[in-house]
Amino acid sequence: MSRENIKYTDEELIARFQKGDERAYVELVRRYKDRLLNFVFRYLNSYEQAEDVVQDTLMKLYTSAHMYREIAKFSTWIFTIAANLAKSELRRLKRRRVISIHNMGFDDKEYEIPSESYDPEKETTSAYGEKQIQQAIDTLPDQFKTVILLREVQQLSYEEISQILGVSIGTVKSRINRGRLRLQKLLKELKEQ
Amino acid sequence: MDCYSFEKIISDYIESNLNVKERQEANEHIAHCKRCREKLADMINILSAMKTLPCCQTRSDFESRLMARVDRYRQQKEHPFVHILHHYSRAISAAAAVLLIAATSLFVYTSVSVPAESATLPAAEFRGAGGNGSGLPAAVLNSAPSFANTKAEASQPDTSGAENPDYQRRIKMVNE
Repeated sequence: MSRENIKYTDEELIARFQKGDERAYVELVRRYKDRLLNFVFRYLNSYEQAEDVVQDTLMKLYTSAHMYREIAKFSTWIFTIAANLAKSELRRLKRRRVISIHNMGFDDKEYEIPSESYDPEKETTSAYGEKQIQQAIDTLPDQFKTVILLREVQQLSYEEISQILGVSIGTVKSRINRGRLRLQKLLKELKEQ
Repeated sequence: MDCYSFEKIISDYIESNLNVKERQEANEHIAHCKRCREKLADMINILSAMKTLPCCQTRSDFESRLMARVDRYRQQKEHPFVHILHHYSRAISAAAAVLLIAATSLFVYTSVSVPAESATLPAAEFRGAGGNGSGLPAAVLNSAPSFANTKAEASQPDTSGAENPDYQRRIKMVNE
């Protein structure tokens, strides 16, 4: 089935799923689960939460497949869902973090349980380590964070990003430039610390 | 071109989105501006680092967990009661809210209106002050409709009223 599906585009697969072919859904899940996870993980900086968001995104694909119209690329549509869910999750996480800080005693500590399948300590070969880059991404304002991740990590085109965010290409270009400059400034500050 | 203008087009410069004239101006600027040259090199470095960030993968049981969720969703969808609840949840919630408000209003109305009935009794104190047949002034009769009703009721004896001691007491007071 998998080999057979290679010849289908994403748009053909979603069309087949809309007609009731559940195997097309499974194929779409296989194509997108890791791509979505990479985006959401960098956005939330939490593997567990990111996996939950990807599950929710793919459930949404199952329950709302009839909403997809072939005026947009499938990837754009699924990333729009993922970006919206990730944004809501980040807001929820921020609220929870604020509450847990308020409730923390002197001896209380919060531990993030590292995932077995992912090692965040692994550094890239570049002058900037992954940890530093992730720290800088976390500090970026949301409007820059989303465009930077979609552009630099997912390597989507300006047009695709403008469709996902529902803003003009000019706005996307401007946000990418400002986001990159902000990221550079943040990394410089982190390096100096 | 100054440093501020170069910053504004730095992404376009990296992605080769400038026209010939703009690119030439940018090249001239970075040729003699060390700060912008370093900034450009640093930016290229950051972007290439971001492109090589390690990819993370979903856990091996990701698909089975997702499919279990899909199965649960399908079962729920097939069950008619759950299906109705799911589709009409808002309407059901609205109906429940209306019922609750109606029940509360009814309860409040009945609790408040019962003591009001006994509030008409002090009107009997006005007896003998006027010249009408009931011994009450016309103004008092008009302003105390409950009492006036009592008088009307008294002129038409009601056997059901005989079981009510309060009613009997009021008839007695009017007759006096």
